[in-house]
Amino acid sequence: MGRIEQTKKQSKKRETRTMKLHSKAILIVAALALSACANGGRFGAANGGGADGAAGAASDPRSPAYFQQTIGDRVHFAVDQHTLTPEAIAILDKQADWLLKNPEFTAIVEGHADEQGTAAYNLALSGRRANAVIEYLVSRGVSPARLRPLPLGKERPIALCSREECYAQNRRAVTVIQAGGLS
Amino acid sequence: MKTGAYISGAGHVAFFMWMLLGGFFLSVPKPLPVQTSAVTLVTPDELAAMSQPASAPRMQQDASRPAQPVVRDAPDAARPPAAEPDARAPAAPPGGAPDRLATPAGEAAPTPVGQLPRPAPPPPPSPSPQLSPTQPGQPAQPLPENPPVDAPPDAVAVPRPAPRVAPTAAPAPPPDAVISDQPAPEAAPDRSADTRAPDSRAAAPKEAATRIVTEAEKPASAAPRASLRPVARPKRPPPPASSGAAPAATQEAPKPAEPAAPAPQQGRDGAGASVENAVAAALAAASRATPAPAAASGPPLSSAERDALRIAVQNCWNVGSLSSEALSTTVVVGVTMQRDGRPVTDSIELLSFTGGSRAAANQAFEAARRAIVRCGAKGFDLPAEKYARWQKVEMTFNPEKMRTK
Amino acid sequence: MRLFTALAIVLGVLMAAFAALAQGAGPLRIEITEGVIEPLPLALPDFIAENAAAEQYAQSISQVIGSDLTGTGLFREIPQKSFISTPTSFSNAVQFADWKAINAQGLVKGAVSLDADGRLVVKFRLFDVFAQAELGQGQKFTGAPASWRRMAHKVADAVYSRITGEGGYFDSRVVFVAETGQKGQRRKRLAIMDYDGANLQFLTDDSTIVLAPRISADGKRILYTSYESGFPKVYVLDIAAARKQALAIEAEALSFAPRFGPDGETVVLSLQQGANTDLYRTTVSGGTLQRLTSAPSIETAPSFSPDGRRIVFVSDRSGTPQLYIMDANGGEARRISFGKGRYGSPVWSPRGDLIAFAKQANGRFHIGVMRTDGSEERLLTASFLDEGPTWSPNGRVIMFTRESKGAQGVRALYSVDITGRNLRRVPTETGASDAAWSPLLP
Repeated sequence: MGRIEQTKKQSKKRETRTMKLHSKAILIVAALALSACANGGRFGAANGGGADGAAGAASDPRSPAYFQQTIGDRVHFAVDQHTLTPEAIAILDKQADWLLKNPEFTAIVEGHADEQGTAAYNLALSGRRANAVIEYLVSRGVSPARLRPLPLGKERPIALCSREECYAQNRRAVTVIQAGGLS
Repeated sequence: MKTGAYISGAGHVAFFMWMLLGGFFLSVPKPLPVQTSAVTLVTPDELAAMSQPASAPRMQQDASRPAQPVVRDAPDAARPPAAEPDARAPAAPPGGAPDRLATPAGEAAPTPVGQLPRPAPPPPPSPSPQLSPTQPGQPAQPLPENPPVDAPPDAVAVPRPAPRVAPTAAPAPPPDAVISDQPAPEAAPDRSADTRAPDSRAAAPKEAATRIVTEAEKPASAAPRASLRPVARPKRPPPPASSGAAPAATQEAPKPAEPAAPAPQQGRDGAGASVENAVAAALAAASRATPAPAAASGPPLSSAERDALRIAVQNCWNVGSLSSEALSTTVVVGVTMQRDGRPVTDSIELLSFTGGSRAAANQAFEAARRAIVRCGAKGFDLPAEKYARWQKVEMTFNPEKMRTK
Repeated sequence: MRLFTALAIVLGVLMAAFAALAQGAGPLRIEITEGVIEPLPLALPDFIAENAAAEQYAQSISQVIGSDLTGTGLFREIPQKSFISTPTSFSNAVQFADWKAINAQGLVKGAVSLDADGRLVVKFRLFDVFAQAELGQGQKFTGAPASWRRMAHKVADAVYSRITGEGGYFDSRVVFVAETGQKGQRRKRLAIMDYDGANLQFLTDDSTIVLAPRISADGKRILYTSYESGFPKVYVLDIAAARKQALAIEAEALSFAPRFGPDGETVVLSLQQGANTDLYRTTVSGGTLQRLTSAPSIETAPSFSPDGRRIVFVSDRSGTPQLYIMDANGGEARRISFGKGRYGSPVWSPRGDLIAFAKQANGRFHIGVMRTDGSEERLLTASFLDEGPTWSPNGRVIMFTRESKGAQGVRALYSVDITGRNLRRVPTETGASDAAWSPLLP
């Protein structure tokens, strides 16, 4: 009798423990999702306007957070290229689907380049990358009025080392969802 | 039968058409950029001079040629000669850097276009003339001043960038030497190798490279890979048994002299007899003519003496502060000399100029005048008995080679 | 016939003899083709303060002149402790022997005073020690005491140009981007300073990204790219009025890489519309926008020739970014860069003879110059990342941006002579990039 009670108690304890773990996990995930949203200021605090991410839990397929994390908001490019790779196209297909399903959002497509080039040329190249993404999304039916390109050249790398593994991460175009219409 | 004829006819026609018209469809390859290298012409005199190790004025001649990297010139007597890396490697300084010395690629193997094969430099103990006062007796320069270890194998050894660019390279002055603004007593050129330089503490010339070395030309890593030991004493010539490379190197020395000798002989053999006679007669007449009226002024200056004057003026001709327009202007300057070899300062005048405006010519003339006055302050080294020959001098200052040094 | 040949031979011999005779009596002729390149030793005794109030300026002015001249790499200042005599009065005669003895080739004597109106008066004379004569005429500058640095620069400019024959460049300003913060999140602001780093003044705050400022020929206006609207756009800033306005270009277009034409009114810039980035020209006051290129490739980084008739720019129509020259009104473009590598940020020299550029080859960057037809390409520097060259007013010195490698990389301004000598860093308090050098101030 005692043993059965003990095991019941133990299993209850285990249950409460796992329950606690679950709720902790949920809290942590929710916190992460929120912090990701708070990081939406794209190029430094108060640097320019209009690029703030909208809130939303990552699990809600209609939220920009879901777009950012689950669908993937960025595509990468080869050196000096602005043509879309098949991997990029696969991601953009899903981005297009999401945008079509959620017509209340607009997006700014940032273009970036790695540091291996002169400033003006890399600014132009990053603009081409952004434009390539926009043209593809438009070809999938997204209205062009909802998309704007933002070339950032080599001003905002996300990987700072001066080696190819960082450069590859920096050659990207990022689709940033905006709440509401474009300003 | 007929089909065969038709086929053959068609083939012939096609062939002719291709011959006629096929060229239109070929793309003309773009002509490759023409690469030119500077070639230095050397007279047979100089060639013979280069292969004779022992005479002082001769060394000045080839030290003045621009295309030679630092390693091969002035410091030669103070350090192991650069042209014998193989000979040196086994006899490297104690604990020394075989890594550095064993890089023949950067030094001996690919001689730059236009350079003649290097004669073996003189063995150090013999009176070895040189223009820098860092005598062999001095502690030799630490080796890191030389072209770095990992110079790319296809590059000419790039001189170390130095604040002063001069036709003769000078190594960095020893740490205890003072670069003073007092003109230094000039080192006598025929010092023997065993005497220690007594005035090494006195003014030393600034370190000089033979050309401007831009950052783009310096090899990527200028740090030597191995730490190098300074050579305490000048290297004795390697014992004959040490390696076969030493005799091979010395064999190179007589070889450059040999081609010089057969050449004039060949000329004589090849010429026809009558032409030769006429030439000889005319030459004889001319040489008879010249001494006769010039008996009063003495024989003409030898090329060594002319070169001594030229080099003396060169060393003071500072074009560093000339505008780029003045660097394209050639000026001819006349000067009258006194008997002791000093120029009469007031007699320096601009005779003519080409290639630039009047203003640029004036700049160039000022630099030329400064050169004559500075290096002539103590008197040029000219033979007194030929004074009538050099009482009036016309110097043409042509900065063309200095423009993209 | 035999008589004829005999006569010919005799005549020939006589002519040879005559020639030899003539040569024997003529002057000795030698040709000097090699020289040395070394800094010219100059003696710069402190300027004499002619009244007590001017004393604080006298030494500072001498120091600025000394740094200007030695900073060119063409001059070497003889240390004052080697002087045999020091001038005590501006009008005393010069004892040339004393200066010759210490190997000075030039001597600058000067004096500073404050006149009755409180204005600073700076005068100088330049002497050629070997000619034992004055070089040019003495000069005097008068101005507000606060502009003592400018007067020092003007003295240095005069000394420099009288000795070298080049125009000077010391009395000039440089506009650039001052940057702080980590790579990837840099805070940038427009700043302007004297060419030697003094008198720094910020022109914008660091609330938004600013890029590539360019200064007009009269030194009064600056063109630059700013992200303050959220997107890259070109603005004009009036320095004195501290007022800026956007160029009159449609709102949707992205504009960047602007440059002034020599008249200070014309503007050439890069515009991205849709897929295409092309060159356009307009005016500061908002004239019509004229399209200059219409290739499907990237065209950017334009620079006017000093006569305003041609433009050099970057295009990747051949597959990699290269340099092209076209007429200032558009039209056919001719390629001028043919080396192995990629070329960018071309700038036409104010003398019109050379084009400076940044070249990327074998994983390294170089600043180089080439003639306007692309020939005589010469590389002056080599490093991880060099770009953004700008010319000094006399076309002899190039200032550029150098970035160091890695996650901690910082950017700084450097200058180098066109011979490749005298590479040195321009002192700035913060990181710096994207410099543009003004012409000589009037």
